[in-house]
Amino acid sequence: MFDVTNGEISKALVTLAIEKTLLNMGKPVLDEVTHRLFANYKCFIPDCHEHPEYLKSVLNELYGNCYSNIVESIKKSLDEFARKKSIEQFLMVISE
Amino acid sequence: MQINLEKSQTKKYLLLSILGTGFIMLIANFVGQEVTTLTTNLLYVPVSGALVVLSIIISTRFSVKGEHGRAWIFFVGSAVSWFIAEQIWLVYDLVYQIDPFPSPADFFYIAGYPFLFLFSMYYLKPLKDAISKKTLICVSLIAMTLLVPSLYIASGQDSQISDFELALALSYPIADAIILIPALIGVTLFFRGEVNFLWSLICIAIILNVVADTGFLITSMDGSYYMGHPVDMLFLWAYILFSFGVYSHIQIFKKHQPNIKSQNLDLR
Repeated sequence: MFDVTNGEISKALVTLAIEKTLLNMGKPVLDEVTHRLFANYKCFIPDCHEHPEYLKSVLNELYGNCYSNIVESIKKSLDEFARKKSIEQFLMVISE
Repeated sequence: MQINLEKSQTKKYLLLSILGTGFIMLIANFVGQEVTTLTTNLLYVPVSGALVVLSIIISTRFSVKGEHGRAWIFFVGSAVSWFIAEQIWLVYDLVYQIDPFPSPADFFYIAGYPFLFLFSMYYLKPLKDAISKKTLICVSLIAMTLLVPSLYIASGQDSQISDFELALALSYPIADAIILIPALIGVTLFFRGEVNFLWSLICIAIILNVVADTGFLITSMDGSYYMGHPVDMLFLWAYILFSFGVYSHIQIFKKHQPNIKSQNLDLR
């Protein structure tokens, strides 16, 4: 039996949403974001659940201020879980 | 830090390529007409060829999956189409020494436009929220403003040309006006500081190509065009800007060491 906490479920959902959105754009986009997250912040995509500002900054580096469309797509993927507190927090920071 | 260094080096090489091409054409024009024709025709081979190679590299990297992947496939279509057109033009001009208009080259030139339009649609898709209706209306009006005089000039050709040739001549300004809309949007986003310069290079290249097409149309109509005319310099510069735009994407989305990814998977 696995003991999975709510926090871990939220983290997995956020990770899936980010990866799905970036993969929809192209695998090199996912690879580049993963690489820059590690190079700039020594973190990985699952860590963006706690640090959405890292993801925001990396997307900003790649797409300038026009990353809002990508954020919108991530938000759409997480729509039905948006009432979970940690996901709500993640969405709030990334949408600012 | 390394990314910034690569960016500044790319800009330096871009400037060198533009100045180098301009210098070669200037010297050729001083030497004589035959040298100008030969030099210009031969310059188109590496310049359009490099674009094909670079676009195949970026397209292979993205494969067919994803929006960017689809965009680059269309770009390859456009680059290959124009490369074939340039080679046909060269053969007609240098080998057969006959006027390349109309020729199969026109079919390939025109075929490149729908590909380029589809590319720009997918290319700008991630930025679509930043495009306001006002911007869209403004750039459409600019494109229309360019289209009307170009159509007037193209339709005012001497009456000896056939309907087919007239239709062919008219199709260029129409295609240019259509492709100009997404290109102007891309450049507008750059001037508003919303995308970086290298993202905008492809859009600037499209605009330069439209300007060159219009210049070609005007100089062909008044009979002042010759192979190696300054208008050809604009076409060559457009190819160079396209190539550097693609190259900058290859640099941005380069392959990374797999160890980072495997660490990533381990942590999940």
